[in-house]
Amino acid sequence: MKKINLKVNGVDYSVEIEEDVRLLDVLRNQLRLTGTKEGCGEGECGACTIIMDGVTVNSCMVMAFQAEGKEIITIEGMATKSGLHPIQRAFLEEGAVQCGFCIPGMVLSAKALLDKNLTPNREEIREAISGNLCRCTGYNKIVDAIDKASKYMGKEGDVNGI
Amino acid sequence: MKKRGIGIGSTFYGTGYGNGFPDVSKAIVELSQEGEIVLYVGATEVGQGAKTILTQMAAEVLGVSVEDITLVCEDTSITPDAGTAAASRQTYNTGNAIKRACENLRDEMIKIAVKQLGLNSSIGVKVENKKVYLNIFPDKKVSFKEIANLQGEETLKTEGIFTAQTTKMDEETGQGAPYWPYTFSVYGVEVEVDTETGLVEITKAVCAQDVGKAINPKLIEGQIDGGFAMGLGYAIFEDLGLHNGEIKHNRFTNYLIPTALDVPDLDKIIIEAPETTAPYGAKGIGEPVMIAVAPAILNAIYNAVGVRITEIPITPERLLKAIKDNGKNKLEEGKI
Repeated sequence: MKKINLKVNGVDYSVEIEEDVRLLDVLRNQLRLTGTKEGCGEGECGACTIIMDGVTVNSCMVMAFQAEGKEIITIEGMATKSGLHPIQRAFLEEGAVQCGFCIPGMVLSAKALLDKNLTPNREEIREAISGNLCRCTGYNKIVDAIDKASKYMGKEGDVNGI
Repeated sequence: MKKRGIGIGSTFYGTGYGNGFPDVSKAIVELSQEGEIVLYVGATEVGQGAKTILTQMAAEVLGVSVEDITLVCEDTSITPDAGTAAASRQTYNTGNAIKRACENLRDEMIKIAVKQLGLNSSIGVKVENKKVYLNIFPDKKVSFKEIANLQGEETLKTEGIFTAQTTKMDEETGQGAPYWPYTFSVYGVEVEVDTETGLVEITKAVCAQDVGKAINPKLIEGQIDGGFAMGLGYAIFEDLGLHNGEIKHNRFTNYLIPTALDVPDLDKIIIEAPETTAPYGAKGIGEPVMIAVAPAILNAIYNAVGVRITEIPITPERLLKAIKDNGKNKLEEGKI
């Protein structure tokens, strides 16, 4: 057993972990943040994408102890009390969600992009989500949604409370 | 060298179980004690939008908004069987069952209103905005809540059953009417083939899809996008690598599916030609949206580099070999 300290969605946690568990397991099983999904479990599909210190990572490929002292954002950290994050709102409005399994990862990849580049073109958006596989949507409405979200965030700023 | 070509694929596809197999959908709708509409449907939502469009159809029949309907879905202890979410059948088959169930509820409510209001007949009686009223004298009205109160503890509940009409094909001749209805499509693509690497890129695509009637155009667009991506993967990426019954490509590192970078923006054309036996004319499009993609791509490859591909997926190695073989054949035939 090992104790790690990390900040998830603005909250400090101190968690006892088995040394061989992945960050994904800690998030889902110990912190009960089940919005992060496990798809392939080998870093190919992007369903478990989270943001760690401003960079997207596949949480199935990060050992939990590597998250010591890190700041993490999961899908649960996107909405605030005042409502959905503009990215989430745009996803809903554009019909970008079908079965929904890839969507938490898509939204976080979108956030990581828009935090760095608030005026991406469609090719840059496609590039930013190219590590997130989706079987239902054909990606186009997701690209539309991220494009729309960039405009919302340009006007409203990032309402994320973190 | 990069070579461009265009290709077209056109399909027609029968939806439903077909071939005379009994294809039955059921639905129940209830006027609750509070006068609210509750719809019970077993149709499975897998992201295609069944819950949305089936509720839209119920709302249309009962003259209420979608928000006024409580949908109870996929709970086998209380929802009747609506068959599988397969064969592109929920819009047409279960849509018809819901429409019937709601029409039955509407007729029952009208009967109660006629009696309560002392009307001569049901002529000119309308159901709208959670009330039943006489169109030529709207003060003669009774609300859904009042009808529910009149019903007492036994709520008003009606069922709708729809059985599709198909016949078994003649086993000898293959003749018959195995499916109804059919859905049609024409998809066109422009590809760029890299003759050095064998990579195929879709540079442009236009998808014209017959839907009967678009109950929810945005959802249809989403289905076309998704179907195109699946058809694209089917045509040039997805190879199970089956060897002696064993799947060799059993992970995303070797079973490649399209990413956001592989799928182009699509020009989507929704064609409405209402089907008379369908609910509001709407037909299923779940499978039809992917079928024309692979033939369109193969035709475009032929147009670009002059090789006729008969096996998919046309991976870069296969395409390079086909281009090379084609060149050799032409050389032997003295054409180049």
